[in-house]
Amino acid sequence: MFSLSSNLLPMNAILILDKDAKTGLSEDYKERILMMLKEKAHKVEVVELGRNDVTPCFGCLLCLTKHVGICVTRDRIAEIRNNVNRYDMTIFLTPVIFGHFSSTIKCAIDRGCGSHNLQVIVGYGDDIDDEEKSTFIDLTRKHRGEMDIVHPGFDKQVDVYLTTSSEDSEAICEAVKKYL
Amino acid sequence: MKNICLINGSLRGKEASSLVFLNYINGMLADTEFNKDIINVRAKVKESYPEDNLKTISRADAIIMVFPLFSYGIPGALMRLLEDFYLYAKENGYNKAAGLYIVVNCGFPRPEIMGELIRVIKNFCRRLSLNWRFAICMGAGPIAAITVKAPLLNMNYKRAFLAIAADIKNGDTGQKDNYFIRPLIPEPVILWIKAQYEKKMKTRAASK
Repeated sequence: MFSLSSNLLPMNAILILDKDAKTGLSEDYKERILMMLKEKAHKVEVVELGRNDVTPCFGCLLCLTKHVGICVTRDRIAEIRNNVNRYDMTIFLTPVIFGHFSSTIKCAIDRGCGSHNLQVIVGYGDDIDDEEKSTFIDLTRKHRGEMDIVHPGFDKQVDVYLTTSSEDSEAICEAVKKYL
Repeated sequence: MKNICLINGSLRGKEASSLVFLNYINGMLADTEFNKDIINVRAKVKESYPEDNLKTISRADAIIMVFPLFSYGIPGALMRLLEDFYLYAKENGYNKAAGLYIVVNCGFPRPEIMGELIRVIKNFCRRLSLNWRFAICMGAGPIAAITVKAPLLNMNYKRAFLAIAADIKNGDTGQKDNYFIRPLIPEPVILWIKAQYEKKMKTRAASK
């Protein structure tokens, strides 16, 4: 099990969400997790990305070859990506669409906005069927976290959750508590 | 004449392996038999993809999406097109009988890693009642892009691409298996190259 330092020091967290796809459910989770982080005196930055704010990854691979760790595309995502080491934890809050991340959040993930220490991915939606739910979980769980780190992103831990109700959101916050 | 919509899901322009595969498939579909349109994903989209693009997809009898695997899923740029098309299709109608094919390449030697990606595309088809056909998943994309042009060495790729052409031509509807094509270069060699590369990267990152 991955743990963040001694659990005594305040950590830097960043919450990245899709501002074009906000719902009552996503706002409820956001409020819960922010309250929990602040109660524990952790610093948290909230970034609301919209489809017009993000540029997709071009797959140029310059961040892996010529300018290691630096994205050459200049936008809000690059600001996060190029300073990603300052974050102990990244929380991605994404609507689940066809069992996948929304395009806005996927652009952020493709461009390496996730903390290399801990990523918590939370999907939400009121209209997700069972197959979409399991696809979303498998898409992350089978390939990230402890399962199969083959991409040179060196992520230490990636957790994935899905909420379809306020009760789910509460349970997710409880589960994330172990890192705080 | 059947309408075929080929979607290039890569933003790498002429350097894209996806473009090599797309051109290869395009060449197998005779101009005299099919109306073909090619849509390239865009880096910048104001509000939504242009209606022309969405209309082209909605009237297609066959949709072939060619793209790279990004973070085990659909590249953000292509996902945006799917989101926009979904909303457009619900509002304006579309050809529900259209068959959907995907041709995906990844950096990993084992193409089976794309299993969850296929499930996402199947979910997309189910949401729109589109006719999911099958996937061609290729490991080590850049190597595959070179191999596909090499006579005799490209038989596995050729067979798979011909299967798409035949499926469209015959209007098949029965369930088909996906194609998973591993690179010709043995996996241990690829993994050795990858290990050397990662070692170099770690050193460079540490020296910064």
